[in-house]
Parts: sequence; structure tokens; C-alpha cells
Amino acid sequence: MKNDLWVEKYRPTTIKEVIGNEEAKILFTEWIENKRPTKKAVLLYGPPGVGKTTLVNAAAKEYNFRIIEMNASDTRSEKAVNRIAAPATSFAGLDKFSSEIKGNMLFLDEVDGIAGNEDRGGVNAIIKIIENTRTPIIMAANDPDLEKLRPLKKICLVIKFQQTRIPLIIMALKKICEQEQITYEFEALEKIALNSQGDVRSAINDLQSLSEEGKSLTLQDTLALGLRNRNISMDETVRGYFAAKTITEVTSLFYASDVEYDDLLMAISDNVARRYTDPGELAKAYDYLSQADVFRGRIGTENWHLIKYVYNNLAQVATVNSESHKPFELITPPPIRVITLFWTKAKRTMLNSICTKIGNQCHISKYEAKMIYVPYIRLMLQQKKKADTLIAWLKLTPEEVTGLTSLKMF
Amino acid sequence: MSVNEEALMWVEKYRPKSLNDVVDQHNIVESLKAFMRNPKIMPHLMFAGIPGTGKTTTALCIAYELFGMNNWRNFTLELNASDERGIDTVRERVKDFSRYSRGAFGDIPFALIILDECDQMTGPAQTALRRIMETSSRTSRFILICNQSSKIIEPIQSRCAIFRFTYLNKAVMTKHLEEIAKKEKTNISTEAIGRIVDYSEGDLRHAINALQTAAAYKEDGVVDEKVVSQIIGEASPKQVQLMLNKAINGDFIESRRVMYDIIGTYGFTGTEIIRQMQKELFKISYITPEQKAELSNILGEYDYRLTQGANSDLQLSALLAQFAKVRITLGENS
Repeated sequence: MKNDLWVEKYRPTTIKEVIGNEEAKILFTEWIENKRPTKKAVLLYGPPGVGKTTLVNAAAKEYNFRIIEMNASDTRSEKAVNRIAAPATSFAGLDKFSSEIKGNMLFLDEVDGIAGNEDRGGVNAIIKIIENTRTPIIMAANDPDLEKLRPLKKICLVIKFQQTRIPLIIMALKKICEQEQITYEFEALEKIALNSQGDVRSAINDLQSLSEEGKSLTLQDTLALGLRNRNISMDETVRGYFAAKTITEVTSLFYASDVEYDDLLMAISDNVARRYTDPGELAKAYDYLSQADVFRGRIGTENWHLIKYVYNNLAQVATVNSESHKPFELITPPPIRVITLFWTKAKRTMLNSICTKIGNQCHISKYEAKMIYVPYIRLMLQQKKKADTLIAWLKLTPEEVTGLTSLKMF
Repeated sequence: MSVNEEALMWVEKYRPKSLNDVVDQHNIVESLKAFMRNPKIMPHLMFAGIPGTGKTTTALCIAYELFGMNNWRNFTLELNASDERGIDTVRERVKDFSRYSRGAFGDIPFALIILDECDQMTGPAQTALRRIMETSSRTSRFILICNQSSKIIEPIQSRCAIFRFTYLNKAVMTKHLEEIAKKEKTNISTEAIGRIVDYSEGDLRHAINALQTAAAYKEDGVVDEKVVSQIIGEASPKQVQLMLNKAINGDFIESRRVMYDIIGTYGFTGTEIIRQMQKELFKISYITPEQKAELSNILGEYDYRLTQGANSDLQLSALLAQFAKVRITLGENS
């Protein structure tokens, strides 16, 4: 995938190209040129999508540093930080024989994502490295007020980023439209920029999701935007998802929809067999879906940084074979699982009660009762002879007897 | 009240009531009898072995012999780890029990706690169990029952005398079934008993249930192999077989429908369904051993994904979709 995403394709490569936040850029450039040697590390903070990561990458390129990056997808326990970061900083000098590279620069993105338990000791490890190194260390965060980052702030140069101003975003969007040869109404770009609330990345993503090749982008097109950002219905999401032709399209759709991923996962599972009628394609799609579910399981309640792998796998599901797409009737929520469990609840509850009774009389668990007693007792009850005494001994109610005799084997 | 004298399930009616009657575990029984002669020296016990070999029976026999047929229920707590919701329930019930049973019985300075299917407990739950065993050891003795002792954490194993129950061989099972049939005045052919023994795979309870059902179906005359085959057919997991057949023949939608039906009615977990699929897969006659091996590997992969994933029905659906594909590729090759 070669920069299908415009945010990547048009990511600035020089400091000058990074739009907005001039003051922060100057402070950062001075620090990197060693004009502010008082602090060894710098902490950039501000809302998402305003160019923190971009600035760091651009600066590294201009000043010939090699970036060693850790972001939220890596665990940052003390051990992990030391394993990756410590060698990077202590061997800084090794590359110096090459005049091209000045050395390494350690970049810790999303440091506010250092989680309590998982990353135990992570902050302390970072502080230790800052104290013992001459390598520039850069950190980026959205929320600088976190209690756990307080010790970091003390020893860093703190640079604040603000929301990018709307006119600057409009200019950036205009430039992209020209490069992509998209005709547009100015009001449409204005609407996208306003809607982004100063987040350049989301503005560019919106632009990409609204633009179609060879079609003019009108204000009319953007009217759906406000709506789209908040709630595309489940139906619309699933329909758009299965109709998508490229991974980019799926990504944009996920970006625009705020359907719960757990609901989405089930909705996709219910419908994927209608989308792919070829067994080979279906198997492939389900394999990706299964892996999406595995990542969902690994997230548990705290590893939220893994959510991107759920989405990546879901994107693969939709694009197993975009040629074969034909419109189909959606199975709409509630999911098949919920409906089945609802309709079978009475049976299941009764069977559980029966198995508890069998278990009590025969010293076995409910599971064993289900597996090796119910199949036979069910048959014995069908033979009317002697059934009464057996029923009395097991203390079964008449409803339970009826239920048991009509029960299908699993 | 005597124990299940009037029991109507033969498994209970003919469950041994004394250690001497336990089928085919002589070495174990001899060691345990030593404890019965001097109960004060009895440690915690662990019984390990495949299902239906007499572990629970032996534990109950110990209770009968220690406290007597009329009293054992007052001094014995029977718990099933797979039925209790969590270690907290186990802890509560053990605590309550050891509180009320303190005035021990005669010479026996302790009450008995039989905890079945311990290997179903999670690691943390076992750690908690170990603690419970320690705090209640003055008043209680545990008999822990499991299929695989390797699934029990080391500290618990080291606190127990471990007894391994061996597989019941066919001759022993046949003899036992014949005795029951004789007492029940049921005429049954040797072939019919052989068929039951083969089908029950060493699980005596399973065999006795099949025997009783067969007897119920043929009141007059001889229970022959035909009746037994009919019973076994009726009692085999037909829906699991249907689900497998549909999947292997490429009918994913129908196969998934059956899967949801089984889960809904029986409330099986994903792992339990896969376990049954594994068993039934190898009985399918129309696919080659190579194909079975390939399908079995797919089962294994999804068995693992189940433990990692969030939605077991989604993983099972994905598994069925893989089955639906494999048949086709194999079909074209052969």
C-alpha cells in the first residue's frame, strides 16, 4: 500500500512546511540546534492532529538525526524502555564517523498512553535515560496534566501546541486538491476545515473520504459530514463496509462512523456469508475476521492501543475480493447470537435445572449430566414403562419431562 | 436413610458402597484402607484419572467408611468446581461447612470436603484454594478430583497424596456389565455388551447408562447388538455430526444455523463444542485420514484462537467456513 492515505502522502517533510504553531516550531528548532542546552529532553504537547509527530520527523530529516521511535503500540515497561531506548542513546557516538548522520534521536510518541500496570516503571526508566544521556530525547503527549507525567515535566523543556488555525487548514486542503486534480467549491473546504476543529489530520481524512475522482467537491457533499462524523447507522456502516473497494475506503468509513466495534464485529460476522458466496473467499474473509476477534480479545479492558489491529483485520475482510460485490439483503441487528440465545432461553434454563437435579442425585457436574446422562435418560423416558419411578427419583416436573423427551441431541 | 437403595439410575444403584467393591483399582484401595484403619493420619488426597474410572465413587466410599451410611452427609461437603461460579463461592461454602462441622464425628477429627473437577479451576482460583486448604486444615480434609493432575498447581499437588486411577480394561468392564445385567434379570448377548464397551471408551458410567437404556428398550427376549446400535445411534451427538457434515459439504449457512442451535439449547462453551467436533470428525467415513488430519489441524488452530478471542460464536463460524473450503480444495485434488 503506497501512501493511499493522503495524510501520509502529503505529510510535510521540512520544518517550514509544517503549518501553524510558529512559536512552538521556533522553540523546538532552537532546542535541536542546541541553543537551549539547559534541558536534555523536550515534551511536546497539544491536541491531536496539529503536527507534533510531523514536526519531529521533519526536524530529524533536516538536522540529520536518526529517529528511534517508540509509540503507544509498544509496551513501555521499564524493561522494554531500557531494551530499546538505552542502547539507542548510549551508542550515539558510533554513527558519528559518518558525517551525514549526527546521531540518534529518541522519540517517545503518546507518552500519556503509558498505562498504570502494563508499563510499570516506564516513566522512571525514561527519567533515568534522560539523566544519563547526551542524545536528544523528544516526547509527545496530548494531555500534559497527567499525574504520572509530572516528574517528566520537571526535567523537560515543555512546548505547547495549539489547534491549527482554520485559514491555514483551508490552504493545506486547497493544495492537496490541486495536486489530486480535484475541483472544489471554496465553501466545501471551509466546511471541512471548520468541522475539524483545528485537527489537520482529520480534515485531510475527511477531504479524502468525500472526494471522488473526476467529480467536483461541492458544499452539498460536505453536508453529510457533520452527520457522518457523529452517527452513521449500523446499516449504513455495514453496507458501505461491504461495498468498499479498497482498504482506504474502509478506513475512511470507520473514521466516519462511530458504531461500537463490538456490535460491528458481530454485524460483520452475521453478514459476511451473504457478501462472499464463494467458499474460498468466505474462508479467507472469516480468517481475517477471526484474527480481528483475537485482537479484540487481547485488548481486554486495558490494551486499547491494539484496537488498530482489529480495524486493520476488518478492513482486510471487506476487501478479500472487491470484484465479487453484489448488493445483498442485510441481516440487521440484533445479532444472530442474541436472537438465538433469546429464543432458546427457556429450553436452556430448563435443561440446566434438569442437569442440576441429575447432578445432585448422581454426584456429577452439570456438564457431565448433559454429556453422558441426558442422552440416555431422555431415551428411557420415551419408554413409558418404569418412567414414572425414574421421574420421581430425579424429582423432575411434568414440564421438564416433556422438555426432556422432545429434546434433540446436541 | 441408606444410600440410594432405591436408586433408579443403575449407575447409582450399583455404585460401590465399600472400598472393597471398587472396580479394578486394587493398589489404590489397599493404600486407602490403611488410612481407614487410622483416620487421624489421613492427609489431603488427590484422585487423578480419565472419566468414569471410579474417582468419585472411591471418594464417596471413604466418606461412608469414615462416618457411616447414616451420617456421612452431615460430615461431607461435595462440591463440583465446574458448577460453582467462582472461587468465592467455594471459599464461602467451605468456610460455612467447616464452621458447622467442628464437633467432629467420634474418633474422626475432621470433616471431609470432596471437590470434583478441580482441573477446571483457573490458576488464581487454585491459588486461593491452596489458601483455603491451609486455613481449614485443622477441621477438614480435602479429596481433590481431577482428570489431569498436571493441570493442578504444584503447591496443591505437594499438599496431597496423589492416586492415579488407571484405565478400566475391556475385560473388567465386560465382567461388571454382565454382573449388573444378571442382577437386573436382563438377558443380553455377548456381542451387545462388547458393542457397549467399545462405544463407552473406558467410561464405566457411560457404559452402564447405555446398558440400562438398552434394557428399557427390549423388555422381552434378548438385548442384542441391534438394540444397542439403535440406542447408541439415538444417543450420539447427531447435531454435532450434522453441523460437521454440512460444513464439510460446503453448506456454511446451514452448518452455522445448527451451531447456534446447539449453543442456544445446550449452553455449551466454544471449547466444549470443539472437543465434540474433534471426537466426531474422526468417525466420519467418507473423508480420508489425510483430510481428517488437515481438518483436525484447523480445529486445533481455532481451539487456540478461542482462548485468545472475544466472541466464541464468531470463532466457531470462522472455523466452519474453513471446513467448507477445505473440502472443496481437497475434492479437486483427489
